[in-house]
Amino acid sequence: MRTLVFIPAWNEQASIAAVIADVREEIPGADMLVVDDGSTDETTARARECGVLVATLPFNQGLGAALQTGYLHALREDYELCAHLDADGQHPAAEVGRLLEVLVADRADLVIGSRYSDPDAEAGSDDYKPTLSRRIGTSVFRFFLTLATRQRFTDTTSGMRAANRRVMALFSEHYSPDFAEIESLQLAVREGLRVEEVPVRMLERAGGTSFLTPVRSAFFIFKGIVVLLVGQFRPHHAETDR
Amino acid sequence: MRPLALLLAATPDSVRLTSQTRILAAVLAVAFMLLILDLIRRDRLQERYSVIWFVAGLGMLAGAAFPGLLKLVADLMGVRDTNVALFSIVLLLLLGLALNFSVIMSRQAAQITRLAQERALEKARQQGEEESA
Repeated sequence: MRTLVFIPAWNEQASIAAVIADVREEIPGADMLVVDDGSTDETTARARECGVLVATLPFNQGLGAALQTGYLHALREDYELCAHLDADGQHPAAEVGRLLEVLVADRADLVIGSRYSDPDAEAGSDDYKPTLSRRIGTSVFRFFLTLATRQRFTDTTSGMRAANRRVMALFSEHYSPDFAEIESLQLAVREGLRVEEVPVRMLERAGGTSFLTPVRSAFFIFKGIVVLLVGQFRPHHAETDR
Repeated sequence: MRPLALLLAATPDSVRLTSQTRILAAVLAVAFMLLILDLIRRDRLQERYSVIWFVAGLGMLAGAAFPGLLKLVADLMGVRDTNVALFSIVLLLLLGLALNFSVIMSRQAAQITRLAQERALEKARQQGEEESA
């Protein structure tokens, strides 16, 4: 099946080449697209040196807009499947390949890679050790998203996903720029798409620190709840009709 | 004749507006509308966003010409003090305008995003063509 793996990247010149090489090795049949979200460093140049297509946004638009660019490309270029992973090296490409297998078997329309291998495990078990504010945020989002979708989600903000054409059609038109990860899950479930979580192995971030301070986390959580609440009353879209 | 006289009159017991304030308000309203016209003329303001401001200017002019109007509106609102009525109306109008701009801004932000995405994908397509050539 024609598959596109796209990688949203914002100032990831240090890690992008390694991620591309990883994808090339683990998912050999797939085409690749790097979406450079207005980086101020050499991300675009590094990616081009690796010989992959790069869609460079003229200015930073946020993760949601970058992901949407990938979905739009996949839809227009008639790819049957697409997947995306983070550019910072936290997501092993082999795990992305496992997500794609679920789509090939047609068991779901959208597959999410969850860093929590056991759905009932508390955040912070396994080898992944998040900060306190992230743990709180994870729990709150789990609770509200489960409430909104009546489906169990553990890793609501995971940036490792695989999707088929129904999802491409939906996300290329409707993808919230502000609260991309969570709202997109709610939207997909509301539109009657089959969303499945698959436990995956993720790595610690190689460098840099999380942008989440306690105050920001609180605001982030508050915004997320409002977004989910409003999302429950959104009109349905026609793109996903079979 | 009595309703018209009531509308025009600035009697102390209905609306406390002196001729001086009324003339000042009228001059300001006219100046405001001239400013709007000038902004349109110099392409600094698009016609479609100017209508609302023109209506606001006309409202100001009407208030200056017929102080009785204010009294009428205040009575309709059940407000004894016409000043309170005036401020409430202006405040609500400004609130509505600000919201209107937020809506326009959101729409334009979405348009800008799509434009950026289209350009980025077009560049990627070009890159692909160059490399296969």
